[in-house]
Amino acid sequence: MLRLDINKKFEPLRSCVGMHKKLHDHYNFQIIFEMATEPSASATPVKQENGVASAAGTASRFDQLYDKCATSPPGTVFFQRDLSALQVADTMEELLGLINGLCAQHLLKQLLFDNEPCWKLRDRREAEKLRTLTPDEHVLYQHIDQAQNEGVWSKALRAKTNFAQPTLTKCLKSLESKDLVQSIMSVKFPARKMYLLKYLTPSEDIAGGLWQNNGDFDMAMIDELSNAARQKIEELTCVRVPAKWNNYQRSERAAAIAHKKAHVLGLRDIEDGAPVRPYKLPVHGSSTRLVYKSNPTYPTATTMAAWLNGTDVLKGKVARDVDMEQLLEMMVLDGRLEKASAISYRTALNINDTKTLNGFVDAPCGTCPVFDLCADDGDISARTCVYFGEWLGTESEEIY
Amino acid sequence: MSYTQHETPALAELCSFLVQDIYGELAARVYSILARYGRQNLNQLVRASYLNRRQISLGLVTLVQSHLVFHSSRVSPVTAYEIDWQQSYALVRFGKVVKSVEDRFGKNASAIVGNLLEHGHTRIGDLKNALFPPQNPSEDYGDEGTNGAGAKRKRANGTNANGADGKVNGIVNGATNGALEEEQGTGAPDKMYLKTVDEFYDAIHLLMQTGWVMKVDEMQYLSPGDYHQVALTQVLDERWNGQMPSGTKDKGNVKKDLCQRKRNIRDAWAEPPQFVKTKRNPNSGTYEQSNKRIKINGTHALPSSGGGDNFDNAEDRLPIRINRDKIAVAMRTDQLVRLAEQRLGTTTARIYEIMLREIESQVPRCFEEWPDPPPDPKSAEPPPPPPTYLVTTREVELRTKDFDICEGLDPQAVSKITGRSLDRNLKMEDPVDPADLGQYQRFELIHAHIDLLSRDPFRFVTWHSGSGHSEWQIEFGEIAQRHIQQEIENTVSARKPQFGLKLIRALKKKGKLDERQAGLTMMIPAAEIRGVVNDLAVQGFVQTQEVPKVERREAKHSIHLIWYDRQRAREKLLHDTYKGMIRIIQRIAFEREKVQAVLEKAERTDVRGNESRFLGRDELDMLNSWKDVEERLLLQLSREDDLVAILRDFHGALISS
Repeated sequence: MLRLDINKKFEPLRSCVGMHKKLHDHYNFQIIFEMATEPSASATPVKQENGVASAAGTASRFDQLYDKCATSPPGTVFFQRDLSALQVADTMEELLGLINGLCAQHLLKQLLFDNEPCWKLRDRREAEKLRTLTPDEHVLYQHIDQAQNEGVWSKALRAKTNFAQPTLTKCLKSLESKDLVQSIMSVKFPARKMYLLKYLTPSEDIAGGLWQNNGDFDMAMIDELSNAARQKIEELTCVRVPAKWNNYQRSERAAAIAHKKAHVLGLRDIEDGAPVRPYKLPVHGSSTRLVYKSNPTYPTATTMAAWLNGTDVLKGKVARDVDMEQLLEMMVLDGRLEKASAISYRTALNINDTKTLNGFVDAPCGTCPVFDLCADDGDISARTCVYFGEWLGTESEEIY
Repeated sequence: MSYTQHETPALAELCSFLVQDIYGELAARVYSILARYGRQNLNQLVRASYLNRRQISLGLVTLVQSHLVFHSSRVSPVTAYEIDWQQSYALVRFGKVVKSVEDRFGKNASAIVGNLLEHGHTRIGDLKNALFPPQNPSEDYGDEGTNGAGAKRKRANGTNANGADGKVNGIVNGATNGALEEEQGTGAPDKMYLKTVDEFYDAIHLLMQTGWVMKVDEMQYLSPGDYHQVALTQVLDERWNGQMPSGTKDKGNVKKDLCQRKRNIRDAWAEPPQFVKTKRNPNSGTYEQSNKRIKINGTHALPSSGGGDNFDNAEDRLPIRINRDKIAVAMRTDQLVRLAEQRLGTTTARIYEIMLREIESQVPRCFEEWPDPPPDPKSAEPPPPPPTYLVTTREVELRTKDFDICEGLDPQAVSKITGRSLDRNLKMEDPVDPADLGQYQRFELIHAHIDLLSRDPFRFVTWHSGSGHSEWQIEFGEIAQRHIQQEIENTVSARKPQFGLKLIRALKKKGKLDERQAGLTMMIPAAEIRGVVNDLAVQGFVQTQEVPKVERREAKHSIHLIWYDRQRAREKLLHDTYKGMIRIIQRIAFEREKVQAVLEKAERTDVRGNESRFLGRDELDMLNSWKDVEERLLLQLSREDDLVAILRDFHGALISS
């Protein structure tokens, strides 16, 4: 459980290399470790254990070392000098013995950094489970562990381990039943089953971005958030104008002058008559309409992502700029937004409430399911068309 | 061959219906033979039909007079006939043409245009004689000068006037949906338009000046193929001694010259002729002035125009016809305004309309069929920029006096410009009358509207030059392409409301995609796409492609791509629209058939005008509902024609990128 939290915290930060010393190390170390596979871990510690004489004293020493290590922040990587600084063992040999013992119990995980061995603490419960593994399962576990949150494809596992397919399947099943690994569908290759450790959250590459869930788009969430984004963008780029916002009474002076002039001169000509009054559209009293703002700040994917992360709708997840861009671009395709420039968006207004499309599709033929079958005569024709009949409210010719 | 001369079976059928509707059965029979067999000479026509030579000749005369067929008598000893699809299709928009001319130039001009459309072409003098029978050359002309709206002139010779009147009204009425019904209904012998011969000439000159009416030329009767041959021969004779040069570069030059020659010949048709203004008032030379002004100034005697066929001046002898290119330009204006209205509201659209109308007379056509240099699919060079048409804010401001230019803007912008404050509900605390604003403020308001137009993704206008906001340019080509795309999208989204639009746009943006990528772009599960793709592929709006990954072509080992080609979709939609129009015409015929008996009774001379007396109640009901149905179908027909114009007439072939 503890681990799980760590990883969550690490996840977003890992992208920025070198921010923090420890993190930096962690990052490098992962890469190097992937190249240097751990040699048979089970063999050496057994030999070492035999060499240790006083079992009871050492056992408490094991716990002592483990507990001392556990006091440091979770996820810390210990080098030999760090462990000796804990001052649990008196000599270097004893320390090595202790370390090997812990490794054998899977309480420590041996790693390599710059060709220097180092260790990481494992949860006791997890170690318990690991101790129950068969050697085959253990090998698989290590391979899966190596892939970290990128996951490893079952076929790739087979290629690496040279196991027979039945063995592989059996071992993987057993690992899954012991709650050590999980399998998920890859987004990139829907046919591939990817394995990764249970406590890891799969990377973007295999699980998809923010919008995907188990390889499929989370439609409910996308709908919800795109609506929220639409509203926000509407707020930013449009303004709702009440009817009669500029309810002016036309000054009658100019008209009066012209009228008088015409009267005095007795002249009757259109050009000398009163100037035409500006035409005003009849408006409904309470209706409002949207118009574009005159000086809008057009939102971009970056500003929208910042807004979304600020609203706490995502419940712990973080929308990156690329996620937001994907969503906004989709909404442009949808016709809900339109591009104001290369990177900014605005609401797409449709002034007319009534949806008129074009002359063709507003007629029955435009959306007729049997349009291609319709001919000049025969069973399907303009004479017998039920859609025309419905549209015009007239009778069509009956066909029997 | 020109892009617009493509012929499709649906178009052929549609045009045959139209010809039959307007020019009767004989012409339609001959027309349909030509539609089926393509280019034919008279003998071939006789062989291909049951009609005899005389009947066919009669039909051809009608068709030739109305420019529905090309003929090659100028270039070949045996005349071959070929259908002019563009002109034939244009029959459907006669009403619209009359209406838009009336909108722009008033009823005088629209009456002339109506006549020209009906007759194909006519000499100016003939048209004048038809409208103003020479027996009574405008007798009481004198008092016309002073009274504009007050008294109306009575015609002494009622029969003659009515004869001409009725004819003109007939067209205009049918076309403009009874806009003039009222006038005719009153039965007054005087008409509201074309009161004097002078007005007639004014209108003709105005139409020629603005390019709506052009000269008739023999070359106009040549089909695009013949026209090409003639132009090519001319070019080769002039510069290459009648021989086609062999070098690649020379061939390119020939091509270029050929395009230029074609352009020159065509442009010469629309060149307004310079007439000697012997009997016309010098003031009327400027067409910006209203007719009214001319009338007030002018009290001059009109020499009675010579009767018969021998017109004494060149002007009357000049045969004229409607310039089809200009019709498309006007339709483009209307469509763009409609589009702007949908997107930005009435007021802004009104401003846009003013801008478009401002430059309309400078725009000879929507797109250049023979561009310079000729398009070369191989060369990477972008095509030359189309001619620029500029409008200034000042020109727009002059024409915005009669509506509220504050409407449709952000109230805050208006408040900033006018310096009046807003209350919390965005209402003006001190309402502002746009008529009271100073010129600078009006400029600013109009600029705000134009700004809306320029920020729209359609880029209705583009800023061109001038400090601040003086000159604006309208990039028609770009807009037309987006417009076509928009109509395709509209159609698709009506047919596949859920994902159709999204898919088309995604494919347009990203190019060829497989299902998974398309799903990622559209953010929907890939499985949902399949159904939409299937339907759209069947309808011809998207294409699918299978690329095998291994040597054996197996579905499992292939990449399945979906793609979208705008030009293909455009052609498909155009074809479908033609077909939809055919169905509407057929439905009209069917609906008419159902009420045939009542119609026949209603059209009897004794019943006409006294319908309520002679027809029974249910007969009247049937008649009324038939009228409703017909009106509805005709309206839809004209809307489908709008779509055809958008798809076909505003832009040449789309070279897909």
